[in-house]
Amino acid sequence: MTLPTLAIMLFLIMDPLGNISSFQHLLRDIPPKKRRKIIIREMLIALAIMIVFNFLGEFIFNVLHISETTLKLTAGVILFLVAIKILFPSIDSFRANLPSGEPFVTPLAVPLIAGPALLATIMLFAHLESSQPIMLTAILLAWFFAVIILLGGARLQRILGPNGLMACERLMGMVLILLSIQRFLEGIQHFVKTCP
Amino acid sequence: MLTSTLSIALMYFLVANPIGNSPTILSLVKDFDFDQQKKIIFREAMISLLIALFFQFFGELFLGILQVNDFALTLTGGIVLFLLALQMIFQKPENGEGPQAKREPFIVPIATPLISGPGLMTMIMITSKAEANDFKTTLAILVAWIGVTLVLIGAPYLQKIIGKRGMAALEKVMGMILGLISMEMIVKGTALFIKTLS
Repeated sequence: MTLPTLAIMLFLIMDPLGNISSFQHLLRDIPPKKRRKIIIREMLIALAIMIVFNFLGEFIFNVLHISETTLKLTAGVILFLVAIKILFPSIDSFRANLPSGEPFVTPLAVPLIAGPALLATIMLFAHLESSQPIMLTAILLAWFFAVIILLGGARLQRILGPNGLMACERLMGMVLILLSIQRFLEGIQHFVKTCP
Repeated sequence: MLTSTLSIALMYFLVANPIGNSPTILSLVKDFDFDQQKKIIFREAMISLLIALFFQFFGELFLGILQVNDFALTLTGGIVLFLLALQMIFQKPENGEGPQAKREPFIVPIATPLISGPGLMTMIMITSKAEANDFKTTLAILVAWIGVTLVLIGAPYLQKIIGKRGMAALEKVMGMILGLISMEMIVKGTALFIKTLS
């Protein structure tokens, strides 16, 4: 997989556009100056967790001897479920009832940004992608754009309006579901090829 | 030149299938009043035009960057529509005013994949590759879009004729038909996929 594909995929799973409203909602009692600091701090924590899981993934799957076919199929399924959540939002997602107070690590860094799906995907692709620098660059790129979007969240919300924001999120969901099916089919292709 | 543009436009029009899609779209917006329905449908048509134009110019680049094949595109359209069809057929009985009771359909599913579906996207990409003249393809898309929008805007009038109860029945039937359409896409995508296997 190439660098742009990986970066776009990770960026879409982080879903920064969809997270803007939760971030704004959770940080509403905090003065704007401090908000920036908190967002950057939370994002740095999320980045650290992602990188840890990146190395963890490589290690764990090596120990477990999991085949490439399995990894591709699993990645497809996980991405598909994430995309379904974005496309058909339900009320009982964990975005709806979050604790109040100044957020620290939870819920902003984990699970809103570095959620279970993102970490699982990072682990899978860390193992699939043979070159570590590409994987790390992809994580950094995706993370960087997510930070920019979240820092400009209030402004973006004003420019696009709630409908515009939702439109972008829907389109991103569509792209994500496209990617998930592509990965799944690649898994099947790989399976057929390696089948004796 | 004019006739070939028109024939391409006609092809786009048929693939977008506004006549077949309008009952489905109508049952998706049935909870809104007449003027709002027209507004929603026009907005969705506008978005689908933007998507079609995007695919004319950047389609190949876009799919190339994401490393997505055409069979994945077709299958995705089929699966999204299939999920939608399931929702339409097995709808939960509405009890009270849920917070999402009047959720406006937005982009998904009307603009894409119903109007600008994978079929239209691949067709646009193929014809724009075959046709050196970009302007001609754009013109064809515009002509087809005008036709599609006119048909779709006419859909809310249909509701006036068949009434609220008719709409509820229509929704279930349309769910079935949408299920068929989506399965057709899935079958096509799978056929393309199987060809790549050998």
